Amino acid sequence: MPIQKMYDYIIIGGGPAGVAAGVYSARKRLKTLLVTESFGGQSIVSADIQNWIGDKHISGFDLAKKMEDHITSYSDIVDIKLGEKVVSIKKIASKEFPGIYDFEVSTDAGGTYVGKALMLACGARRRKLGVPGEKELDGKGVAYCSTCDAPLFSGKDVVVVGGGNAGLEAAVDLLPYATKIYLLEFSDSLKGDPVTQEKIRTSGKAEIIFNAQSKEVVGDKFVSGLKYLDRKTNEEKTLKAEGVFVEIGSVPNSEMVKDLVSLDKYGQVIIDSKHGTTSALGIFAAGDITDDPYKQNNISAGDAVKATLAAYSYILNRGKK
Amino acid sequence: MKKILIYSTPTCQYCKMAKEYFTKNNIPYEDFNVAVDDAKREEALKKSQQIGVPVIDIDGEIIVGFNRSEIDRALGLKK
Repeated sequence: MPIQKMYDYIIIGGGPAGVAAGVYSARKRLKTLLVTESFGGQSIVSADIQNWIGDKHISGFDLAKKMEDHITSYSDIVDIKLGEKVVSIKKIASKEFPGIYDFEVSTDAGGTYVGKALMLACGARRRKLGVPGEKELDGKGVAYCSTCDAPLFSGKDVVVVGGGNAGLEAAVDLLPYATKIYLLEFSDSLKGDPVTQEKIRTSGKAEIIFNAQSKEVVGDKFVSGLKYLDRKTNEEKTLKAEGVFVEIGSVPNSEMVKDLVSLDKYGQVIIDSKHGTTSALGIFAAGDITDDPYKQNNISAGDAVKATLAAYSYILNRGKK
Repeated sequence: MKKILIYSTPTCQYCKMAKEYFTKNNIPYEDFNVAVDDAKREEALKKSQQIGVPVIDIDGEIIVGFNRSEIDRALGLKK
């Protein structure tokens, strides 16, 4: 039997939700474990975050560092397992209280930990197109980080898939470099902010294609184009391009908890927005893994605070009639 | 001492992480901004056969992205 250590509160995730949960839990003097592969969450790739309250401008890198610094300052009460990935979560019946469960969390580094309450702050990851050629040509023209890779497409034609804010921002990142930008949107309108749309429309470099369903990333050694279906005419067309930037939203990292808590049809953990509770007693959730409609750093942090205060009260009172 | 070259772009956060990692471990490296340096951009592509940054060249061993465990292994650092 592996060595187990008992915690009050186990937090999975090191983005804004996980770190906010850790700070509040530390201040409540809960014996806390935080397991995360890295700090900062998904906005770590952002070169310039302008809506993190209190910072007019901050890079994803700096925000991640500030978060790490903040939570590490509570290392007297918060154990941090950085670079570890949770591989399983199990419910185990509490020996103390009938009908109440503890949670056993195992990581890829071989650690097994038990907690009285669990915070799911595992976030989400980028959605992929799921079409032929995408995987084979990943890093060979298929790109998911426009802030990183846009300059590498200097003088080339590129496709951006996705007309939401992320897609529009990718197009803007590419404007100074690419010769021509095809912006593909599945529906008949762009969902991203009008200000950004305007920037793209007036650039003279972009062509927006609506009702387009991506079918295949074409290329041998490197990307040479994208095949898509014109959903209006039912015609298959191919765009010539050397880059395909995929910006079609995210998928919640909830596979591991699908048998523990209720998920909605998108795989998001269903929470009660007042207390961050899930369908399972003792399991709380916040941030991009949840069905909260707005995926924002500030919201993730705030929701994690609510959930942690609720978890504190749960831990104090659990098993009491 | 192994010779380390990093091909990066200024807005790439993983490039920053990689550079900071080397700095923290007191390992000198040479950094090329491939957003402006066309020749080095080509060189990075040729070496990695990929279009992405960072490209990290550790004595001829090529690592794409900030992969800490691969970097440690290439450097001969213990985890």
